[in-house]
Amino acid sequence: MELLFQVPNGIKSKLQLMPSEEIRYCIPHDIGKDGTFRESGYVIVTTNRLIVTDEQEITFQRELALLEKIKCEPQINCGILIIKEYEQEYEKHIARFSMHHLIRASFLAKGAELLRDNKNKQVVSREREKSCLKCGRALPGTSKCPKCDGKAVTAGKLWRLLKAYKMQLILISLVAMASSALSLYIPQFQKIFIDTKLADKSGSTRDVIIFITVMLTLTLFLILLQVLKNWWFVSLGARLSMDIRRKMYQKIQELTLSFIQDKRPGELMNRVAYDTGMIQRFVQECLGHMFSSIVTMVGAVTIMLSLNVTMTLISIVFLPIVFMISSAFRKNVRRRFHLQWVKSDKINSSLQDVISGMRIVKSFGKEQSESDKFNRLTNEFAAIQQKNEKFWASFYPLLTFIMSMGIYFVYYFGGRNVLGGTMTIGTLVQFNAYAWTLYGPLGWMTHLPRMITQMVTSLERIYDVLDEEPLIMNKENAIKHEIQGEVEFKNVHFGYKSYEPVLEDINLKVKKGEMIGLVGASGTGKSTMINLIMHLYEVDDGEILVDGININDMDIEGYHSQLGVVLQETFLFTGTILNNIRFAKPDATEEEVIRAAKMANAHDFICKTPDGYNTYLGERGYNLSGGERQRIAIARAILNDPKLLILDEATSSLDTESEYLIQKALERLTAGRTTFAIAHRLSTLRGADRLVVIDGHRIAEIGTHNELLEKKGIYYNLVMAQLDMQKMNSETS
Amino acid sequence: MKKNDNNKLIDNTAEDEFNLEKMEKETEEMLKLRFLTKENSVFARTEGGFVSLKIGDEFYKRVLVYRVFPFTNPEGYISIREPDEKAKEIGIIKDLRNDVTKETREMLEEQMRLRYFTPVIEKIIDIKDEYGFAYFDVVTDHGPCRFTIHMGGSSVVYLSDTRLMITDLDGNRFEIPDITHLSAHELRKLDLFL
Repeated sequence: MELLFQVPNGIKSKLQLMPSEEIRYCIPHDIGKDGTFRESGYVIVTTNRLIVTDEQEITFQRELALLEKIKCEPQINCGILIIKEYEQEYEKHIARFSMHHLIRASFLAKGAELLRDNKNKQVVSREREKSCLKCGRALPGTSKCPKCDGKAVTAGKLWRLLKAYKMQLILISLVAMASSALSLYIPQFQKIFIDTKLADKSGSTRDVIIFITVMLTLTLFLILLQVLKNWWFVSLGARLSMDIRRKMYQKIQELTLSFIQDKRPGELMNRVAYDTGMIQRFVQECLGHMFSSIVTMVGAVTIMLSLNVTMTLISIVFLPIVFMISSAFRKNVRRRFHLQWVKSDKINSSLQDVISGMRIVKSFGKEQSESDKFNRLTNEFAAIQQKNEKFWASFYPLLTFIMSMGIYFVYYFGGRNVLGGTMTIGTLVQFNAYAWTLYGPLGWMTHLPRMITQMVTSLERIYDVLDEEPLIMNKENAIKHEIQGEVEFKNVHFGYKSYEPVLEDINLKVKKGEMIGLVGASGTGKSTMINLIMHLYEVDDGEILVDGININDMDIEGYHSQLGVVLQETFLFTGTILNNIRFAKPDATEEEVIRAAKMANAHDFICKTPDGYNTYLGERGYNLSGGERQRIAIARAILNDPKLLILDEATSSLDTESEYLIQKALERLTAGRTTFAIAHRLSTLRGADRLVVIDGHRIAEIGTHNELLEKKGIYYNLVMAQLDMQKMNSETS
Repeated sequence: MKKNDNNKLIDNTAEDEFNLEKMEKETEEMLKLRFLTKENSVFARTEGGFVSLKIGDEFYKRVLVYRVFPFTNPEGYISIREPDEKAKEIGIIKDLRNDVTKETREMLEEQMRLRYFTPVIEKIIDIKDEYGFAYFDVVTDHGPCRFTIHMGGSSVVYLSDTRLMITDLDGNRFEIPDITHLSAHELRKLDLFL
């Protein structure tokens, strides 16, 4: 996202920049003091000043050093920039933004505070622009604008994809050309037959039979060529899309979680499934068609012109009219179908609403009113669908008719020429045939612009993923290290967005085999710390060392394979229990699996399922309880024999018995391993060697259970609060 | 004077040694509806462009002004809140037209104008649709404006039979209070979304 807009020259001179002062951030603020939209106001942050301008005037400026607080406060559908000076008691709002610039303003505020604190760190925004800054068009979730990027670049991208199939393409185009040539030759052959055998009645029945035989052979051959061509294009399309899908899948796995989390759920899925499908369709339908259409059309027109110029012109005179009509109706057609789509969407969502809320609908006795609502929707949809289909059914035949109107004129002039003796009957028939060959591809070509645009958009969205550089990559000569278990945080700073710190200045040294409990209110950054240990994100500042080696220098896969993770939401893959336990170590023996399951207190319940370890889990498979799933996850972690263990709320939302069993399982698991554990129930952390309390983005307290209790700080209060809650629960029950 | 820092609760509990009674009291307090009127509260403009509030011996150097029914009753039940992340409610003004002085009403309306930004579309100059996005060129009560919406999904929502809310790509909202007041020409441009 752009954070440094061009400062207009008129204003730049008014800023009176000092020699050493440079502009670091500049963003527009688009709502004026009176609340109206405006385009010529800017908020500028230089290395030592914060300046607000409106039109040509500076309306506010302060030295950064005087400002205690610079903050962008979101309001309802807008935002305001607030400052507070050290000297003054009150906060002051100095600029207002629509949502278009709100995120920018948050980044700017953070950037300004960093400059004030003399941290020479530039805030960069990884957020994507929603619309192109150059042309104003909405971006389809990509970083580059498909329009401004230029068709040439896109064509280059398509070529990059097709390059691998060069030979096939050449072969296919040869076949396509042959089939075009053949279809152009057939009328020529007919003409000769008509003129030499039929017109002067010199031929015999035998000639007719020969003609039919040759025609049949030619046509069969033509069909064969076309089928071959289509086959090849279909297989090229399928292989190409498989290629893209594979590349995208690989890339998505390489990319950091932050890239995936920035996207709307389902968007990446869409790109892999829908956009590659679009490319496949384009190759299959357009590329193949386009090539042979163009060859056929050029050929047909050339031959027609050589036969008779006037008649050629007459036969295509109606084409512009058809183009005009179809482009005049294009909007209308799109609207009709968009409307139909909107209605069907409404039906779907209303269905989903009612079906998933059936218990509520029934218990409030609202069946009748809900079905009335649904009836109304389906009626509306049916009416629109009917109207559209009727329109469709009459519009296209009409267009084809108008397009072929030229034929009647061709017959008129041609007929007169034949009667006048300047043209043979054969030529007229031949001409007629070419005219028809022309109409088909021309009609089809009207769809071409739309199809190309769709292809370009899909291609952009695909390359947006493929061109994305993974932020966490294996460095050259990455270290393959066997983890011993010593972990150290050194001045670690991190935020998911660079303007919003989640962890600040974290320093922590963990000995081998130590169990660390992470404690704090929700949203304080416990899970974030764990994400950093797992190296799913890169730290913004500082470093994380494992056995004295920076984890950035380690081989990522090697590092991950030595971690064991049990999370709150246990994700089990569709498949058998056995496969799920073996996930991290596919070559584990059956005995090892059973041992791991026993350690996790999972063996017993697995045995009780009808299919034992081969029980199929999944949508239609066996349903496990939360505690059982959790224990399978623990078995999975144990089997891997991890050197570093991470438990994120591994025992929450379980009944007492399963909690006890899991607690026991975890104790076995954590013995002798460096462990980081998060738990809301502090009792889970009994076994921890040290507890780390995180509050206000920082480590607030650190020590053993007893030490922290004596301190009577945050941890003490948390413990007391939970004790009281327990007391309350036991009193009421 | 009341402190509004985040550590407040923690500091207090450290002193009082967290107890149930206190928590119950706080929960009780949340149930209470405190109505603010010109008799019990004094609002004043601050130099920074916000509003302060004094009720009895409580003083807030800045308060937030929320509408509770922004669409259906924008002048009733105005919730006055503390300006930190928790935004605890201080009280409610039941009827902005009658319960407070004219000056107070003006300054609170000013605050709400700062907080809420939903331009009302007065005139539709053009709507162009291209590849799944629609580009609006309109005149609003906040001046002329262009914005872009997603064609699919729920960018255009009916608040009532005639009232329309349009949300653009960035999350800005625009309102058409009564579509029957649009000209036939404008309606035709809009009909794709209706």
